[in-house]
Amino acid sequence: MSGSVPYRNPGWAGNTGEFQLSEAQVRGDDFVGTRPLAGGHASGSASYPYMLEEKRPDAPLFEGPYQDRLDKILTRYPDKRAALLPVLNLAQEVRGHVSPETMDRVAELLELPRAYVRGVTTFYTMYNKRPVGRFLIQVCTNISCNLCGADDVMEAFLRYANTEPGETSAEGDFTVVEAECLAGCGFPTCVQINSRYYENVQPLDVPKICERLRARGR
Amino acid sequence: MAYPYASDREVRVISEYFGDPEARTLDGAKRRGRYKGLEKALSMSPDDVVEVVKASGLRGRGGAGFPTGLKWSFMPKNYDRPHYLCCNADESEPGTFKDRELMRWDPHQLIEACLLASYAIRARHAYIYCRGEFFETNQVLAKAVEEAYADGIIGADVMGSGHEIDVTVHVGAGAYICGEETGLMNSLEGRRGEPRTKPPFPAAAGVFGMPTTVNNVETLCAAPHIVAHGAEWYRQWGSEKSPGTKLFCVSGHVNKPGNYELALGFPLIELIEDVCGGMRDGNALKAVIPGGSSVAIMDADEARRCALDYEGVAACGSMLGCASVIVMDETTDIVKQVRRMAAFYAHESCGQCTPCREGTSWVTKILRRIEEGRGTEEDLDTLIELTTQMVGTTICVLSDSVAPPVQSSISKFRDEYLALIRRGERVGAA
Amino acid sequence: MAESSPAETVTLTIDGRQVTVPRGTTLLQAAERVGTRVPHYCYHPGLSAPAMCRLCLVEIEKAPKLVPSCITQAADGQVVHTQSEEPLAMRRGVLEFYLQNHPLDCPICDQSGECKLQDYAHAEGRVHGRGREPKRVFGRDDFGGDVVFYGDRCVMCTRCVRFMNEIEQDPRLTVVERGDRSIIDTFFEEGLEGTHYHGNIVDICPVGALLSKDFLFKQRAWDLDHTPSVCPGCSQGCNIELHTRDNLVQRLRPRVNLDVNGHWMCDHGRLDYEWINRGDRVEVPLVGDGREARATGWRAALTSLLERLDGAGPVRAVVSPRLANEDLGAVRALVDALGGGEIVYRSRRAPAEVPLKGFPKLARRRDLEPNVNAARLLGMERVGGDDGTGGLAPFAAHGGVLIVAGDELADQPPDFGERARLYVYLGQHPTAAASRAHFVLPITNFAEQEGSFTNHEHRVQRFWPALEPPGAARPGWLVLGALLAERAGEAAPTRAEVAFERIGAFEGLTYERVGTGGAPIGEDRALPAEAAGGRA
Ligand SMILES: Cc1cc2nc3c(=O)[nH]c(=O)nc-3n(C[C@H](O)[C@H](O)[C@H](O)COP(=O)(O)O)c2cc1C
Ligand code: SF4
Ligand code: SF4
Ligand code: SF4
Repeated sequence: MSGSVPYRNPGWAGNTGEFQLSEAQVRGDDFVGTRPLAGGHASGSASYPYMLEEKRPDAPLFEGPYQDRLDKILTRYPDKRAALLPVLNLAQEVRGHVSPETMDRVAELLELPRAYVRGVTTFYTMYNKRPVGRFLIQVCTNISCNLCGADDVMEAFLRYANTEPGETSAEGDFTVVEAECLAGCGFPTCVQINSRYYENVQPLDVPKICERLRARGR
Repeated sequence: MAYPYASDREVRVISEYFGDPEARTLDGAKRRGRYKGLEKALSMSPDDVVEVVKASGLRGRGGAGFPTGLKWSFMPKNYDRPHYLCCNADESEPGTFKDRELMRWDPHQLIEACLLASYAIRARHAYIYCRGEFFETNQVLAKAVEEAYADGIIGADVMGSGHEIDVTVHVGAGAYICGEETGLMNSLEGRRGEPRTKPPFPAAAGVFGMPTTVNNVETLCAAPHIVAHGAEWYRQWGSEKSPGTKLFCVSGHVNKPGNYELALGFPLIELIEDVCGGMRDGNALKAVIPGGSSVAIMDADEARRCALDYEGVAACGSMLGCASVIVMDETTDIVKQVRRMAAFYAHESCGQCTPCREGTSWVTKILRRIEEGRGTEEDLDTLIELTTQMVGTTICVLSDSVAPPVQSSISKFRDEYLALIRRGERVGAA
Repeated sequence: MAESSPAETVTLTIDGRQVTVPRGTTLLQAAERVGTRVPHYCYHPGLSAPAMCRLCLVEIEKAPKLVPSCITQAADGQVVHTQSEEPLAMRRGVLEFYLQNHPLDCPICDQSGECKLQDYAHAEGRVHGRGREPKRVFGRDDFGGDVVFYGDRCVMCTRCVRFMNEIEQDPRLTVVERGDRSIIDTFFEEGLEGTHYHGNIVDICPVGALLSKDFLFKQRAWDLDHTPSVCPGCSQGCNIELHTRDNLVQRLRPRVNLDVNGHWMCDHGRLDYEWINRGDRVEVPLVGDGREARATGWRAALTSLLERLDGAGPVRAVVSPRLANEDLGAVRALVDALGGGEIVYRSRRAPAEVPLKGFPKLARRRDLEPNVNAARLLGMERVGGDDGTGGLAPFAAHGGVLIVAGDELADQPPDFGERARLYVYLGQHPTAAASRAHFVLPITNFAEQEGSFTNHEHRVQRFWPALEPPGAARPGWLVLGALLAERAGEAAPTRAEVAFERIGAFEGLTYERVGTGGAPIGEDRALPAEAAGGRA
């Protein structure tokens, strides 16, 4: 981006344009604070998932705070089936992907046929059908971002991670995939990394972003 | 203020507090006038609320432009069965990024709107179906809902009115088709997000088999303002058939992309040249998609004379859709961008209807072949015929959405297709 | 479909012809009334209609766009065109998409010749395809049970999924993925193993995507002869077709009968047909002295038998409940003519019924023989165990006239009937237990003759000959009927129909009334359901 408009990349690749806002203010972190694992008020208990860095594919499901969240989710719908998407989200949050075993467990929990749960799970792109790296990097390459160089951004991520689209880098840090429109069209290129949006990403920003991620504890 | 850039040409009704973090908090929202419209609505009868919205001429902002008051009036006028409101926050149409801004900057505006609409259609439960990818936005919204519950705004006794309305933030899991209203309902029920055949219409048998109204975030957000200030107030902007203000999501090759709230009927060229600070790098305008990826592409001439309301855009051979203005300059490779949109539809087709399931991917493959220099002139006819065969033959209109970009690009930018084809032929001959 | 009182009808015009149909009838069904079959894949009369194949589009005058005829209800005064330009063009367009990724491997596909993709593409499709792109490849998957899945041929009609969800109600199948990656599958390796009606998904699959392993590469569909029949697998009496070639049964297919089996049949019945094709048959009448037997002609055999029939002592008979009503009736008549005596049958019984949940009229019944109910109606008694053996001690050692009809006596010793003054064995297969028989008379099985069975609810249902009988084998009713007629000096029945009408238990019923769909016997004659078990 260039021209008369002051464009400044504040380091997390957001663009606050004419505003003087911090990252937390734009993302809303300062308002939201830390949302409890148990889901907070029931009305928002189905509004997760986090995509966590630490993936524990064999972790127990629906225990402790997650049991609480599950219970709250179930209160919000007239039947159990309707809780399927939130419950799969919850399971993926804990395990990092939705394995056949996870589907089976969810099916049993919600009293749904196993094949049905598989059918639903595979319909939605956000459920990872196989394990992904610590950071799932989804680069929007659809038209608005594409016009502003999304293919180059995708390329830059792949190069940095030294991997192929859909694959995970050797050390298990990054899985890079092409994504459809993330509804961040005014902030091209829009990239979703785990649960977070990175906006106005340009190829030059990529190493910085990745290094920052890699260095982070969580 | 529109975020991240502002323009004094805007009329900020629903976008007033974009970029204002304080508006997110309940206190901040109340200080900014939120929940006044709801308070007024609760003092009226539900049917009177519907009448006001009807009189305002508000039209659906999710793409189809259906009159909102009329849609609400289809709901049964009793409490015999549970009614549901579904707020469609699955925003996924390429080029569209307004609902996310509405939710992340001004969540209480949406909550107020959901309560008001629920009251009007006699729903006791509103589901806000958010895109799963909007994690940060959803957390803002969920937090705001939580605040509103704590304050007694939502719940068993909405603002002390004695009416019970619940609001639940529900998130999807990655499927554009769940933005289609019946796909949304299936998804909300925990099914594959496959659109349903109509009839039955949602107002008769919608989510969980009950009368349901589905409205876009932006549509709903306008309602409290209309109720608070009256239908005539809203009609001061726009035209008879397209009254009010609308968020225009401008993306692509402009200097200041972003959401701008404008009176309907605003000239497209002024949006680009003035509001958005002109074309990037001073390049020449080549094409504009005025309403998201499912509408016909306009060339520069059409764009220059286009007024941005439902009728004005239609007069230029396209559709306003959800007012997602994608601006392309002279450097744009049209064939590539059309292929990219077709690939999107192939990826997002739910797969029920054969013309859509097979057609979207077939069209994408042909476009890809042309792009790689292996196309023929005949392919262009095939593309037009195939996309025509995809119109009107399917359950929902995703299938129909492929035709406008493909056909309009072939008719308006045929040279670009031919150049790729000729280049391929030369390479092949050599 | 909406419930409607039968009096309510609507009148509309389809393709220029007026038709009156009950309210709630769909345009597709109404069109069938005037003889037009609108192409369709996803619609099946026994399943819900998702209207997703988009092939049954028709034009209604004054309607804004074409409508799917499978879910659009006929309304008064509608003027419908199924063959006008617009729907034909639309359907031609839709069909083209079906062929885009289809492998076009008809030469090696079992469905060829009875494939709806072939039929429709031929009838309404484009003359030349214009697909140039590489085709999607899914490959082949073993679904367990009798089913193998050829993913590339699937047209995604989801009939199979809906059958398992709605009718079998064991939802093992699902669509996985979406868009053009959609494919039918089970829960990973779960498969269909252990379900009892999955064979039906092969029948209802309009293309060669779901195939029967049993039938795989066995025959070409157009080479098969189809004969209406009744499943001999249990006392439900599902209406079926025998598909035959080379005088062998190649497969069984259900035949629609909404009063009995709907569109369906069970896997047990479907796959239990090899016994019909057994090659070891008695082919000529054998006359012996209890030690040695000699082949002879029918006339000689029956003349000789007639001579020995009377005065040989009390009669006892063993019959098979696989025999037709007509055969059992003839045995009853013979035994009665000889002064009466005990007639027993042995039958296999399953521990439990296997109901078809979505079509509760149909269950694989506990009685695994087709005609136990006729035997009971005719006063015959069940002996032996649930495996269909034993219980014959008093018969093995019987000293008078011993008649065995149809029971192979596979569990009985060679000295069976040794003490009988006269031992007549009418059967299909040579057996050691018939070695002491004075007469071994070859009879046909149900597939080789005309006749009828009486099912668990006392419904009489007819079947027709599909195979040539081996050698000189004749239907039991014909053999015994001739014998009895000769003895009484009457005219012998020459047609099954006559034999049937002579049976008192079926009085009031005629073949004509039974027709192809069956008819219940009078309620006054129906027996209460029998308690399990038989005399040891
Ligand atoms: C394929 C498809 C995708 C759609 N996606 C969205 C969407 O993401 N958001 C939305 O609000 N409406 C979307 N719609 C429109 C909805 O079906 C529906 O018309 C809208 O939610 C109605 O709300 P409105 O009357 O307030 O516009 C989509 C429609 C189709 C056919
Ligand atoms: S048109 Fe496409 S997306 Fe819509 S229902 Fe049919 S297959 Fe699904
Ligand atoms: S396998 Fe056959 S029945 Fe099943 S969806 Fe495919 S074509 Fe239809
Ligand atoms: S239920 Fe009985 S009659 Fe029907 S197919 Fe099965 S075995 Fe044959």
